[in-house]
Amino acid sequence: MTSKSKIALIAVALAVLIVWAFVTVIPLYWMFIGSFQDSAASAVFKPQMIPEIWSIAPYERFFHKAAAVRWIVNSVIVASVVTVTNVFFASLAGYAFAKLKFPGSKTIFWALLTTMMIPAQVTLIPLYILMINIFQLGDTYTAIVLPAVVSVGNVFLMKQYMSTLPTSLIHAARIDACSEFGIYRKVILPMAKPGLAVLAIFTFVAQWNEFFWPLLVTKSSEMRTIQVGLASFVFAESTDYGAIMAGASVGALPMVILFFSLQRYFLQGITVGAVKG
Amino acid sequence: MARVEFKNIVKVYEDEKRGSFTAVKGSSFVIEDREFVVFVGPSGCGKTTSLRMIAGLERQTSGDIRIGERVVNDLHPKDRDIAMVFQDYALYPHMTIAENLSFGLRNLKRPKDEIERKVKEASSILGLGDMLSRKPRELSGGQRQRVAVGRAIVRDPQVFLFDEPLSNLDAKLRIQMRVELAELHKRLGATIVYVTHDQVEAMTLGERIVVMNEGEIQQIASPTELYNKPNNMFVAGFIGSPAMNFIDARIGGGQALLAGGTAFPLPEAAARALGAYEGKPIVLGVRPEHIYGEAMAPDRAGSAKLEAHVQVVEQLGAESLVYFRVGERMVTARVHPELPVALGARQTFVLDAAKLHWFDPQTEQRIVF
Repeated sequence: MTSKSKIALIAVALAVLIVWAFVTVIPLYWMFIGSFQDSAASAVFKPQMIPEIWSIAPYERFFHKAAAVRWIVNSVIVASVVTVTNVFFASLAGYAFAKLKFPGSKTIFWALLTTMMIPAQVTLIPLYILMINIFQLGDTYTAIVLPAVVSVGNVFLMKQYMSTLPTSLIHAARIDACSEFGIYRKVILPMAKPGLAVLAIFTFVAQWNEFFWPLLVTKSSEMRTIQVGLASFVFAESTDYGAIMAGASVGALPMVILFFSLQRYFLQGITVGAVKG
Repeated sequence: MARVEFKNIVKVYEDEKRGSFTAVKGSSFVIEDREFVVFVGPSGCGKTTSLRMIAGLERQTSGDIRIGERVVNDLHPKDRDIAMVFQDYALYPHMTIAENLSFGLRNLKRPKDEIERKVKEASSILGLGDMLSRKPRELSGGQRQRVAVGRAIVRDPQVFLFDEPLSNLDAKLRIQMRVELAELHKRLGATIVYVTHDQVEAMTLGERIVVMNEGEIQQIASPTELYNKPNNMFVAGFIGSPAMNFIDARIGGGQALLAGGTAFPLPEAAARALGAYEGKPIVLGVRPEHIYGEAMAPDRAGSAKLEAHVQVVEQLGAESLVYFRVGERMVTARVHPELPVALGARQTFVLDAAKLHWFDPQTEQRIVF
């Protein structure tokens, strides 16, 4: 390739990336800017891109709601628990499906995968009846968390990731007198950190943004998560967009923190050097 | 240290798609205490499977494996008192070299001072002293290989298992490590089972070599015996580099009639032994180093001569490889570099009569006399 066409290619790639970045950043910017503009009780939300007057009134209105802090705490609790259980169970199951030989492993794995094809709406009502009517778990953390303890998608993700880890390390550990759980804990988990970080972030974000299920199984304002709570700023005649933006900005913080704390694992090739020269 | 015994070992793999595949077809042998035995053979011959069955990473379909006095069929790898060095080293990437070396002992809950002492010993034997706090990725291939060996040494096992440990190293390093492994065996006086597909490695390291092909043991013998008295055409062709030449022939009237028309009188003993093959096809096996250019043939070589057109000459410095055709088969001669050879010229070669091997073309077994 000539250097001219190379430069042209880079220019096109850059242009695409800039547009993409712009499209990604604009909604966030809009949310952030909107949270500092007082548009209380307006039916239409038209924040200025560069605001003339900055106001913290939306934040005051958001935190004025009795349960606002509680919503965030609830979201943190629910998303954290779901993240931890998913990381634990999905990595265990993924390891078993990827590296352990046991009768029926393929059948079980495919049966699990098949469940991914069932739309969530189909299982919603039976799940609701199970949680609320049979287990009597209405308005509890357990009701929000239990159905999300481990997802098949995460098991699949982990199985694919674990398949890339060298099997000889597992054999070496087995000869090195390591127990099966010891192999998982001392050899597999440390090597799977990049995969687990991805899984943790995806799971946390997905659970944080979960709206419908927490709305269904919680009744009291104290048990709402942030996403459900924010909906209470939508009134019959108007919507307090400023307060919603303020709440959304506050609510985005834990995700930002999580992402940056796990970011290094995304790019870290931890298995480099394990095998071959 | 301990002996290892295989008794009628069969290993069958069941595969949903391909059906069943027998990787090891009834192996029986004994590896003596403190012996260095090499399993050698082409890919898929069952050598690694055999090693992994000793390790307990695979369970044999039938038969018994003994390590020392114990039958280990149902023992977990950790209870077999073995240590294994893997082809890809299998070092734990997130642990330092010291942690890698001590991992097994820590799992066995050995006292701290014992672990420290053994790690120190192993690292001094292998020259790893200043690398203990590094991670595997900071080490070169040869150093990683040493760590992998060190991890086996600290365990002080009854049997060391090596699964093609040198195949990831470059040629120069491989020769160096080969020497180091041979020295290590002397020093440790350990029972070692070593798997390789490289016959040079097998010949230089093994006190005895188990040659395998398609799941069957072809021969178990010392390197020199394998070289001088191969059981069959497979062993004859596998051991030695360049490989032994096979020439189609017939026996008639005390003479060997080679494909392509050359004939030479057989030595008396050979003529007697090959009498049964009178008029029948037979395969003559001769190693490249036992074919001489006529001008430089030693007197004892005898009168087994053949003429051929030289097709290719490879000058290697210390020797030359000359290729020519006899009948359908290409034959290689390893000759003195100063032998005058002209490409395309008709040249007379002398086969060393005392070093000829004769094989039955049906059974491929060597005809012993």
